[in-house]
Amino acid sequence: MLIFAPVKIVTSSISCLALLTLSMVCFAQENPMEADTLATRQLEALIVTATRNERTLGALPMPVSLISKNQIRTMGSVRLNDILTEQTGLVVVPQVNAQGNGIQIQGFNPDYTLILIDGEPIIGRYTGSLELSRIAVGNIKQIEIVKGPSSSLYGSDALAGVINIITDRPQGTRGNAAIRYGTNNTLDINGDIGFIKKKLGFYVYGNRYHTDGYDLSPQNFGNTVSPFTNYTLNSKITYKFNPLTDLSVAGRFFNEDQVFRFEVESNGIRTRTSGNGNTRDWNFNPVLTHRFSDKLKAIARFYSTRYKTETYLNLETDGSRYYEDDFRQSFTRPELNAEYYFNEKNILTLGGGYINEQVQTSRYGDEEKRSQETSYGFFQHEWLPLEKLSIIAGGRYDYNTIYGGQFSPKLSSRFELTKKVTFKVSGGVGFKAPDFRQLYFNFNNSAAGGYSVLGTEVAIDRLAELDAAGQIQAYLFDPAQLGNLQAERSVSINAGATVEILPLLKMDLNVFHNSINNLIETQAVAITTSGQSIYSYRNILRAYTQGLESNFSYPVARHLNLSLGYQLLYAKDKDVAEDVKAGEVYWRDPNTLVTKRLKPNEYFGLYNRSRHMGNVKLFYSHQPSGWEGSLRVIYRGKYGIGDIRGNIQGEVIPPSDTNSNSILDVYDDFVPGYALVNLSITKTIKHSLRFQLGVDNLFDYTEPVLIPNLPGRLYYASVSYSFSKKNVQP
Amino acid sequence: MNLIKSILSIALIVGFTIAFVSCNEDDDLLPVVATTINDLNADYAPYESPLPTNRPPLRIGATNKFTLFSFKTGAIVPNADSTSSNWDIGFRSTTIIVNSGTSGPGTTTAQILNGTLTNIIEAPFDGYKSDNTAGTTPAERNAIPSGSGNGWYTYTGATNLVAPIAGKVIVVKTAENRYAKLEILSYYQGAPASPSPEPTGADKDRYYTFRYVYQPNDTRIF
Repeated sequence: MLIFAPVKIVTSSISCLALLTLSMVCFAQENPMEADTLATRQLEALIVTATRNERTLGALPMPVSLISKNQIRTMGSVRLNDILTEQTGLVVVPQVNAQGNGIQIQGFNPDYTLILIDGEPIIGRYTGSLELSRIAVGNIKQIEIVKGPSSSLYGSDALAGVINIITDRPQGTRGNAAIRYGTNNTLDINGDIGFIKKKLGFYVYGNRYHTDGYDLSPQNFGNTVSPFTNYTLNSKITYKFNPLTDLSVAGRFFNEDQVFRFEVESNGIRTRTSGNGNTRDWNFNPVLTHRFSDKLKAIARFYSTRYKTETYLNLETDGSRYYEDDFRQSFTRPELNAEYYFNEKNILTLGGGYINEQVQTSRYGDEEKRSQETSYGFFQHEWLPLEKLSIIAGGRYDYNTIYGGQFSPKLSSRFELTKKVTFKVSGGVGFKAPDFRQLYFNFNNSAAGGYSVLGTEVAIDRLAELDAAGQIQAYLFDPAQLGNLQAERSVSINAGATVEILPLLKMDLNVFHNSINNLIETQAVAITTSGQSIYSYRNILRAYTQGLESNFSYPVARHLNLSLGYQLLYAKDKDVAEDVKAGEVYWRDPNTLVTKRLKPNEYFGLYNRSRHMGNVKLFYSHQPSGWEGSLRVIYRGKYGIGDIRGNIQGEVIPPSDTNSNSILDVYDDFVPGYALVNLSITKTIKHSLRFQLGVDNLFDYTEPVLIPNLPGRLYYASVSYSFSKKNVQP
Repeated sequence: MNLIKSILSIALIVGFTIAFVSCNEDDDLLPVVATTINDLNADYAPYESPLPTNRPPLRIGATNKFTLFSFKTGAIVPNADSTSSNWDIGFRSTTIIVNSGTSGPGTTTAQILNGTLTNIIEAPFDGYKSDNTAGTTPAERNAIPSGSGNGWYTYTGATNLVAPIAGKVIVVKTAENRYAKLEILSYYQGAPASPSPEPTGADKDRYYTFRYVYQPNDTRIF
């Protein structure tokens, strides 16, 4: 059996007793404080993401949630997006052309959530968001989700929050092999093995995943998602030099090949193409931890990662090259941080580091390397002035060669009113640096309604060249005002409470408001003599997102746990909201052609945001017989879609705005709300052999044009075998 | 500011009363009506066939001439009269001109207001522009600026769609110091509810449907 720490333990009397005995033993040997900590640690899940140090989930003053290995296994998920899409307040949204899915948190676009593996960022956001299916879940120990800005610890991109994937470490001798087969010829094979020998620990995980993809529009040539095969290899070696010094060296390698067949459309002519896409990433991550004393712990980390993707398409008629695209990125970061424990009421964390990032791509018009460097330092002080009150104050300063300095403070507090009622409030600043695309893009689409997009660092020169060549018909915006792109910034507040309504009936409530300024948007700059628009980027938009999130959890019967989750969200463009309030926005009924003034409550908000979303989950687990089961219903309310170019199969995606005001109002067309029902059933024999059957999207709900990332009904079956030999860690 | 507003409103009321009284006396008040013009052809031209794949397609047979319109007659003025002051406003593709400055010999001026035909009941006293403003951007050049989001329409490259912005009313001051207000309703033939433009769709663009009110009397109230 795999050994993992369950998140919510309904402690049986026996284990309680064992813990009690354990803590009593510790009591006798060490000081009472540590004994208490040890006991707590046995009981409650530990979260590392919120403070960069291990803290118990319940003690944290900011909204944090955790997905355990147990849950992941019960859900039968194999890729990261499958798991995240079932969490309250998280939406997996398809990217333009359905190439890649990103995660939306608190109404923020996917680019505004930082995604980490063991505390280190995953790179490869070449169209803005990360492709979550790159991450296999077989070696995940737990997933930690911190909502609200976390730039005070993590720097750029952590506006909506941080998702930190904690992978397995060597823990005794154990191994696991699993195979899962399902609809669309989807085959997942994975295995891991780990052991500890004296001071040395070793863990390795391998995964092969293949799917034939799926086709939601069979009347069109090619698939909605083309077939792909990927391999993941993860390893971790730990070495304990002495009781005070640990070294961990982790590495990852990922390779994915995808076979494309598309019909591309240019000016109404459809041409068949075929080609390949290859994506590869690897990383190397040694971490050295040393405890100088009981009070001082220091960690030196080094992280280096590369990402590469290459795509080409050939015309099927004559085999000639139709499209080529490549993108290479690297990220290297040494970092030092230290935790100083003054006393049980004061803990200080200090850190600093340096980041070097490089990008090389055909999309910037040349294959030149572009780089930027960031130096940063951060601090965090955890203060417990009263037994029932804790305060965490922190901040981070980043200095970047392109966008300059950024200071991101954060203040959080937790107050225990009674044993059953706890309040939490946290406020902070998050930022997102302009990405390489916004700085260096040099992209030209020559088809009908063609356009060019120029990054701000290259726009002025490129426009001058075009102007000198007589190709500029008119300027729409003064090019001299381009450049100096600023980081996007958010100021956020999260306030909530945890209430134990009945014994074991817990309710979590969190209210949030995020005010986002300096949002980068495309700006039309000029028109060429052939009538094409040239765009660049500017910090023009302001927006806010606000709402509430609530979760209930209750064991409705023995072995049966019910949980409910709900999120209410308002996400609006501030300027549009002000214009609507001032009575300056109208809508025209497309059928009667009658124009009316839009009332403030009729402005729905930003595209791709659902006002309501929620989930109902039932988990059954009967340990003695080895039966487990789950029924999950995931609901996403109606939402609008903006102007997206046609989908990957050449179909035009109708924009929601149908009444000539370029905003989403209640009279527009919406993508209707929908609920997905997922089921799984598991039988474990002798704690080692495990059989699972499941079906995702039981009622086969699809929306081929509007929701291309939603495949139909998926059946799967899996079998796994695991063994473990408990041995005491030295 | 408030004082000016008050003076203006008093002046307006007085002016309106005088106009009303004088009309009553003379009994020559001309009727004010709202008129809809359907499918005014603003230089429609079909796309070349077959369509090229490596460049934007050409449009065959475009005259490059404006379709001219007079509010007084409520009719199209032949393009041969383009050098006269018989017309007020001209349409060609998404460009709208007024008969003044660089566009024509007349003195017609215009401006765009936020509102609807029914809730704009009075033409502003000033703020009218002619087509002769020097400037680098179209927004600066014409009284009714062209370009997506600059004036009366938005353009979406993804769908190749021109959509008249709801709530934009063009107020025109003619050479005879008469006022007209105009709302563009559609840029596509037959004013379809959800147009699918050529060349990928079937709807023909450059066909204006607009609704206007012309005040033939000497008043800014309509």
